[in-house]
Amino acid sequence: MSLTRAVAIGGFLFAMGLFVAVEWAARREGSRVPTLGDVCGYVMRYEVGRVPVGRIVLLVFWWWIGWHFLAR
Amino acid sequence: MVEEDVAVPAPRYWDRPAVTVPVFAALAAVGGQFPGFTREANLFTLAVGGVFVWVGLAGWVRQPGRLPGGWRPHAVWWLLPAAVFGVLESATFLLGSSDDYPTFSRLADPLLEREVVRSVGYFGWLAAFWGLVRR
Repeated sequence: MSLTRAVAIGGFLFAMGLFVAVEWAARREGSRVPTLGDVCGYVMRYEVGRVPVGRIVLLVFWWWIGWHFLAR
Repeated sequence: MVEEDVAVPAPRYWDRPAVTVPVFAALAAVGGQFPGFTREANLFTLAVGGVFVWVGLAGWVRQPGRLPGGWRPHAVWWLLPAAVFGVLESATFLLGSSDDYPTFSRLADPLLEREVVRSVGYFGWLAAFWGLVRR
């Protein structure tokens, strides 16, 4: 395994560890950090006029994730 | 966190785990049959994803009774992992997404070659949708 590949894998693992760490911090008693679900909820309710922009963006992103990893 | 109670319409008969979990499992089992980079897999994700996005946008799914409050400044902490991931993904993508500079999805591809892993991936994808549209 090349050094650059090892660094990339380590970096992605570090990033995932950070996601877990922030979620853990958010779930602690009295935490002022919102959970990822709360952040998604806020984005989902974002509207411009009567257009649910946040809902459209997140659902399209969700579809793209599935297509990118499972189909393309 | 400030939470408020809101009026919740009665859930549709299919909007309950006893229905959705078996449906998701069946769809995941079918999706797992299609290897990546095939026309079948593309059509499957397009069809299932399209229907689900439509369901999500049409408001057919029961919304939660308790909504989280508005934007909180400490949400910026989420930018830290997102930025680390984004910088790595961008760098490896710009460097050609090769074995030496793999993107996240390139690292996942060997795992997703296994049928059972693809099915688990499909189930997680559909479960994420269900969690998302209830927000």
